[in-house]
Amino acid sequence: MTDATPAVEIVDLVKDFATSFRRRKLRAVDGVSLRIGAGEVYGLIGPNGSGKSTTMKALLGLVAPTAGTCAIFGRDSLRVDSRQEVGFLPENPYFYKHLSGAETVRFYGRLCGLSGRVLEDRVGEMLALVDLEEARDRRVGGYSKGMLQRIGLAQALVQEPRLLILDEPTAGVDPVGSRQIRDLIFKLRERGITVFLCSHLLEQVQEVCDRVGIIFQGKLVKEGRLEDLISIEDQTEVVLRDASPELVARIEELAVTGGAELVRSGRPRTTLERLFLRETMKGGKDS
Amino acid sequence: MRRPGKQGIGSHGGRVLAITMNTFTQLVRMKVFYFLVVFALIMLGSNFFDLPQHGLPETFGFSVLRAVMSWSLGAMTLFSMVLAIVATALLLPRDVEDRTLYTILAKPVPRIDYLAGKLFGVLLLLAVSLAVMDLVMLGVLQLRMSLFMGQVEAMEAAGQAAEKVARMRAELLANGPDWSLQGAVVAVFLRAAIMAVLALFISTFSTSTLFTSIVSFLVYFLGYFQADMREAFLRTTGEGLGVLERGGALLLTLVLPDFQMFNVIDAVIEGAAMPLAVLGKLAVVAGFHLLFYLLASWYVFAGKEV
Ligand SMILES: Nc1ncnc2c1ncn2[C@@H]1O[C@H](COP(=O)(O)OP(=O)(O)OP(=O)(O)O)[C@@H](O)[C@H]1O
Ligand SMILES: [Mg+2]
Repeated sequence: MTDATPAVEIVDLVKDFATSFRRRKLRAVDGVSLRIGAGEVYGLIGPNGSGKSTTMKALLGLVAPTAGTCAIFGRDSLRVDSRQEVGFLPENPYFYKHLSGAETVRFYGRLCGLSGRVLEDRVGEMLALVDLEEARDRRVGGYSKGMLQRIGLAQALVQEPRLLILDEPTAGVDPVGSRQIRDLIFKLRERGITVFLCSHLLEQVQEVCDRVGIIFQGKLVKEGRLEDLISIEDQTEVVLRDASPELVARIEELAVTGGAELVRSGRPRTTLERLFLRETMKGGKDS
Repeated sequence: MRRPGKQGIGSHGGRVLAITMNTFTQLVRMKVFYFLVVFALIMLGSNFFDLPQHGLPETFGFSVLRAVMSWSLGAMTLFSMVLAIVATALLLPRDVEDRTLYTILAKPVPRIDYLAGKLFGVLLLLAVSLAVMDLVMLGVLQLRMSLFMGQVEAMEAAGQAAEKVARMRAELLANGPDWSLQGAVVAVFLRAAIMAVLALFISTFSTSTLFTSIVSFLVYFLGYFQADMREAFLRTTGEGLGVLERGGALLLTLVLPDFQMFNVIDAVIEGAAMPLAVLGKLAVVAGFHLLFYLLASWYVFAGKEV
């Protein structure tokens, strides 16, 4: 797996935006390097304005990097053909209000060079996948937030891309809807599709992602496999069953023996949320 | 293992067509075609305006036919101009605002394809609406024609001089719809097409629809003085015509369309013929401006951060 071309390769990405007043530049992304292997699910987390969306836009060639490079499956993001293998769901997507759901997916399919029978089949398949078959002939202008998010997923997946980039896929979606989106990501992972997502909902990131990166003020402050990141190295966890309070007390004293069954011992996990807060608070102090 | 990812130049056409048709549907579903109803009403209304004039009855039919042409071509010019500028000025900012542009450019769509698609969508809308207006105009002219022919026949039956009747008949036919009139409609289209591409170019760097529209209308008026400006440019420098002046005049010709060329439309209303060569020249000039400004738009848009 490691020798194959990575799905995403971002090297020392820097992106400055010109602010209208004073010649000061706003550095939205500051030296981010990322590598996402094919088939991985990668989650980028960070507070508002930390540069998540900007990183994704640079990867898609929507903004030109100030420095550094981005590549999708080895093709530079500034080349149009790098987008053949990628599907993108922007944050709070809106689509042409005048089109129906089916027309929307068809339009994006045409943009990917699909046509005829193949296209029609894909449109039906995608609408079924995101559960919008009943709404296929309704104007997208009348769709709810969750429906827009789902039609966005359908258009992102229309050409069967090998990489899916999701910018806050569950923002504004109810718990049932976000569960569906999570299940969809699982399904895609099974098919070998690489997913690169960013989200504020840390629990969900924790549920679906193989690897996560924490970005803060444009810098990637922590990155690694989720399991490694959230294990606490200098602690040991003892999980007891049928332990009375006294027993617990004694165990606390003895710390080893007792009549209880030792179910599991190993490294306890912190939550991704705690890690997130710790990392972003720490970064906040030293900058 | 999957579908071949490689897509040749051949698929450019497919993508441009997809965006063209999408733009066309978008404009149609924005109910822009309602103005055609207004046009039809104007045409119907114009029927009530020909109260018998004190002119000679022989020239009566003649002037009414010319008036209908003048009304229709005037209305066509107005509608096509407003449509070309406002519709184009609306499209880009709207895609940026709704962030539909992200989803489009995140697909393998070269930016030139996107711009060309938008432009062709507006041109298609212009062509369809002008064709409909043309049909309405021809219908009204035909109706008028047959009414006047009926009157002439009545005169004939009433024992008017055969010579006079024949002359009137010939005059009516000479002032009826002909190929020059169709040429004038094509010229109206070409002029609107130039305005559409200008508005597209302006909207690639402008920040609002209003700004784009105002600047476009301004350029339209300036375009009527292009020939004079160029002449003034060349005359002030007199004998020693330097490279700079020549270059300036050339640049002016390239950048600013000469809308005075389209005065042939008015000539057609007056009854002049429009030679095919003139129409051909207009088409070449319009084609040049379309290409020039499409490439200029591309140049600006390619570096744009969306
Ligand atoms: N087009 C732009 N022009 C100027 N500044 C921008 C532009 N886009 C983003 N920025 C700035 O770059 C920084 C990073 O923005 P970005 O949208 O990447 O953040 P984010 O991590 O996606 O935040 P959120 O969680 O709120 O979506 C912000 O300070 C933002 O104001
Ligand atoms: Mg964002």
